[in-house]
Amino acid sequence: MNRGNIGITPRPTRLADESYLEFITSFRRLAIQEMFPKVAEHGEVALAKALETGEVEAPADGETVKLSEIRDVFGKNPVTPTFQRFVRTQQEMMWRRTRESFYQDIDGVMASMAHAEEAHPERLRIDPDFVEPDYTRREIHCQPGGYTDDPMGGIVFHYGTKVFYEGFNDQDELHIELAEKATKPADGKAERILDIGCSIGQATTVLKDLHPQAEVTGLDVGKPMVRYAHARAVNMGKEVHFKQALAEDSGYPDDHFDMVLSYILFHEVPVAKMKEIIAETFRVLRPGGVFSIYEFPSNDKNQVSASNRFLIDYDSKNNCEPYSPAFVASDFRGIIEEAGFEVEQGPLLTNPFLQSLVARKPA
Amino acid sequence: MDSKTTINAAGEVPATLGEEIGGAGKAYFDDVVIDNILDALLELSAAVWTYHDRVIVLEKVLADRGIEVSEAIEAHLPDAAEIAEREAERAALVQRVFGSFVRRPTARPNPINPTAQKGDEQ
Repeated sequence: MNRGNIGITPRPTRLADESYLEFITSFRRLAIQEMFPKVAEHGEVALAKALETGEVEAPADGETVKLSEIRDVFGKNPVTPTFQRFVRTQQEMMWRRTRESFYQDIDGVMASMAHAEEAHPERLRIDPDFVEPDYTRREIHCQPGGYTDDPMGGIVFHYGTKVFYEGFNDQDELHIELAEKATKPADGKAERILDIGCSIGQATTVLKDLHPQAEVTGLDVGKPMVRYAHARAVNMGKEVHFKQALAEDSGYPDDHFDMVLSYILFHEVPVAKMKEIIAETFRVLRPGGVFSIYEFPSNDKNQVSASNRFLIDYDSKNNCEPYSPAFVASDFRGIIEEAGFEVEQGPLLTNPFLQSLVARKPA
Repeated sequence: MDSKTTINAAGEVPATLGEEIGGAGKAYFDDVVIDNILDALLELSAAVWTYHDRVIVLEKVLADRGIEVSEAIEAHLPDAAEIAEREAERAALVQRVFGSFVRRPTARPNPINPTAQKGDEQ
């Protein structure tokens, strides 16, 4: 059964699913907004005390407290395993029920994507010979099948991230913000725009709204993602293009794009791939083109608080983020500069956890 | 993959999805019973809300039709088929709320189910 949409977000197929998932949304707000600050506050205080008493050895200049020490100190407070238990459990509950609900309408969802492809085949490029590299086939965020292996993954991701964003992105509010804050080239020319790691194209469609004359393309490794993104855009009446491809091997000519956007892509790939993606983005941007990046914090040299290091470590192991610790420890900005970009601080998002960088290809 | 998941006619859904959230799951407390109680608490709370939400909707739908149901609900006696149907739903609720005690019956390491992980393992 199809119960329609909540604005532009699909509605679960049964009232019981919707009530259950709304409960999880409310619970998640409590866990993230009220419980984690307690974990952080108690952990930071306990760590400071342990450093003062010598229970934890003070790091040398330029070094950081060992992660294992942070884990030990934070773990002694009972609020920590309680938070960990709750966050893991709500995530499992969310994916199970979201999939179960939308699979009730699998034929309808699949038909909707097929219909959009018949109506606008020119806006979706899927190479039948494309093979997803093994590193991309992880169940990121614990989503069954990840971005690549569940044909229903697009709609499941859409509703699943509605819960993840605690109901604050139901109408793409966050994606509107990041697309609006994407930096334009100094000369104002923005005829071709690329959204790498676009998932279901929520920022991609907003970029088209903001730049109606531009050719806007979303690129993602996940076929279920780009198929759903395409159908969603067609249903919204947005003329945007999607392509299944690797961000490190996009297939576009040199100097092709005026603007490129990435939103929380790089912590989902190994550091070696991150470097390849940055080099590829430099190649496809034209001189004077701008790369807007919103991402996890990085360069872990006392710039990331102990509580955020604790959270990222937990998230990596318990929310299937296999590559994020190496990303956080990397000199991300330095790597972008090494690729030839001129990098500066970008406009900050409402979410203070994320860093924002603007990387310009020299004119 | 979830046992309740439907595979469409084209058989396009691989059979191995959901490994990350499957198996014996993770434990965060030295005493795994605490993990299980907290899982049960979450499922129970979700169930309470789900049923409460449905009653709210039910009352609104009936009120829209001018129907008073309180007395009729108290007087209602189920037949055998309805009893079986409600029993199956009740068993599913019990499974959702208390299934974690079966999923993680012992502390780590679990000699019977080697897929059981500590929360600090990848």
